[in-house]
Amino acid sequence: MSAARYRLSLAASLAAVALAAGCAKEQTRYGDARAVETLTNQFGSTDLQLMAESMARSMLHAPVIASSNLPILTVQEVRNKTSEYIDTRAITDSIRAELQKGGRVRFAVDAAGMTQQTEELKRQQSELYAKEQAAEMGRMVGAQYRLEGNIISIVKQVKETKDVYYKLNLQLWNIRNGLLEWSDEKEIRKTTTRG
Amino acid sequence: MNRNLNIAAAAAVLLLAAGCAAKKGFEQPGFAFGCPIGEAKVSSMDDLVRTKVVSEGRRTTIQATEMRCSKAGELLKIDANLNNDSRSVKRLAYKFRWIDREGMRAWDEEPWKPLMLYENSNLVINTVSPTSKAVDFRLILRSEE
Repeated sequence: MSAARYRLSLAASLAAVALAAGCAKEQTRYGDARAVETLTNQFGSTDLQLMAESMARSMLHAPVIASSNLPILTVQEVRNKTSEYIDTRAITDSIRAELQKGGRVRFAVDAAGMTQQTEELKRQQSELYAKEQAAEMGRMVGAQYRLEGNIISIVKQVKETKDVYYKLNLQLWNIRNGLLEWSDEKEIRKTTTRG
Repeated sequence: MNRNLNIAAAAAVLLLAAGCAAKKGFEQPGFAFGCPIGEAKVSSMDDLVRTKVVSEGRRTTIQATEMRCSKAGELLKIDANLNNDSRSVKRLAYKFRWIDREGMRAWDEEPWKPLMLYENSNLVINTVSPTSKAVDFRLILRSEE
């Protein structure tokens, strides 16, 4: 094959590839953020939403919440004891949002937000701010209850079938007397079969 | 003697009527089986289920057969029985829709909750209203087959 014919053939191939790439249409559409998501059996949006809603509703009619006048809670860590990466903060954030929206509890700043809180307090104590409107030191309110828990998973796989079981356990502890005031669990099982 | 007997009989009838009235009047007006029904005419469990259960998306063969509500403080507690009378396992998703006193949405749309029902079986789903503003509800079902 002559050099000119080789170049021509190469150019034609490149043009064909470019055309094919152009024809493979990519489509993006908005979906329902609350739909049941079953793309894989890893921890997903549906699991997060189910766990958060179930726990928040259960906590709402716990005697300690139902009979108290706006009890103050703080959120501690939900330990991830599963074999995969799960942002457990997203679970507690969703529970907190649901409870706060229901207007039956209040939340005190938690350990994760303490640095920002104290920095802001210190900043307002500087000479940059009007003293009469600045937030005073020593006025923060401590929580009466702390929320903590853990999430575990059991994964089993035989040939083409993979079974995943998640269990989220949450506990509400009375900070003053160390009593467990409420506890509940949410279980989820997902099975994926190939072929 | 005869007069005394008449009075006693009348008293017995009155007591009986009072007893029946108390039994009949046990349900608050605007409620059926503990569930809020507003102005709807509900005289049986089937009527209540028809009023409260809505199908959206793909229709499921799963039937809600019973529904009971109770007050948990200011919140509404709901139990709904779902029945799969087919010979195969069925999958569906459900959610509750919360309605306030003005008939507006009292809460954000809930996530769909997937569920599996074994063949020829019943399953009770339960929930509690997320806020005291929610005074009415609908149970929404869709097939996930």
